[in-house]
Amino acid sequence: MKQYQPKDYQPWLALIARLILGGVLLAAGLLKYKHLDKSQMAVRAYELLPIPLANFSGVVLPFFEIAIGILLILGAAIRISAFLGGGLMILFTIGIAQAWARGLSIDCGCFGGGGQVEPGTANYLPEILRDLGLAILGIYLFRFPQSKFGLDKNTTGKEKIDEQ
Amino acid sequence: MSSKPLPGKDNFTRNLVIAVVVGVILLMLVPTVISKQTKSSARIPASVSASDGYGIVFNGDLKGVPVVDIYEDFQCPVCARFEATQGNYIESLIKEKKAKVVYHTLSFLGPESIAAANAAACAADEGKFLQFHMALYVNQPKENSGAWSNSALAAVGQVAGIKSQKFSTCVNGGKYADWVNNVAAEGAKKNVNSTPTVFINGKEIDRKSEYFDRANFEAAIARG
Repeated sequence: MKQYQPKDYQPWLALIARLILGGVLLAAGLLKYKHLDKSQMAVRAYELLPIPLANFSGVVLPFFEIAIGILLILGAAIRISAFLGGGLMILFTIGIAQAWARGLSIDCGCFGGGGQVEPGTANYLPEILRDLGLAILGIYLFRFPQSKFGLDKNTTGKEKIDEQ
Repeated sequence: MSSKPLPGKDNFTRNLVIAVVVGVILLMLVPTVISKQTKSSARIPASVSASDGYGIVFNGDLKGVPVVDIYEDFQCPVCARFEATQGNYIESLIKEKKAKVVYHTLSFLGPESIAAANAAACAADEGKFLQFHMALYVNQPKENSGAWSNSALAAVGQVAGIKSQKFSTCVNGGKYADWVNNVAAEGAKKNVNSTPTVFINGKEIDRKSEYFDRANFEAAIARG
């Protein structure tokens, strides 16, 4: 049955990656979910999206994060969840980097909060490094989705991306 | 969203979990998205104009004067500082009919902001919005500490000189909750990303120099 034999430590590594990426997404979503006005404000402050789209994203994003977070923690649909979660982190990285490059003073709004802040108090580098690290976890899980204690049973590591 | 199980593998639990998670989230998301839209059926206080972003309007009939839009959240400490610095001056603009002033009571800081905005609308019905507005900022507690219950807000109304039973019924019943939502939705459309935010004739004043300096603020109003 097994076409691909992962190294012994890999399923454990994948479990840790799942719990970290899933846990961060779930926490971020839950913190934002109670303050959707603020979440909309946070997305608008990036000055990337047209206002109506930013407002829509601000409402949808927390729900999206909660769903992916739960799926990753439970280990269901790991590849798709990791793809979406990691992709989200890459988008966040781009958003923060462009805000930094354009000299905007905003709170990233990653875990609630958000909007404009006093000039000079924005702290972009640690946020970018954190999101890049989480994106790497997502990429790892996408490549090596077989993991301990998950609901997925058919992850052989040989699946084609075309499933999506 | 589903990946095909290999033959002979039981993926029932996994697929059920995925379906439940995605389903529940969608069931929560759709009503939330709808509730964030402006509701044209919302009850609104008499001094509110939908065409002014559902703000509470003073001197709405004046022509040829600067239009001052103030976006604030009653729980925001910086708004209290703004009120302390510029509040008297803005009230004098209103009393001397030198400007049209529109108050937008946002509520992104949480449930007590919503309760306070609702109470402010009730106060507007009593013709005491400005007094109530000032009393709220003078008595501003820590954010969402539980201090601004509806009964506490009704008591603030007493301080502001509102005696009527109608007021406390309005406060306790959350009469203008839908209106509070509309103010937030309109503020979101106007790209207001922090409080306080002040527009003069539709243009935001300078955040670095004009919010907390009386002379600069007066100059900004005069500039129009």
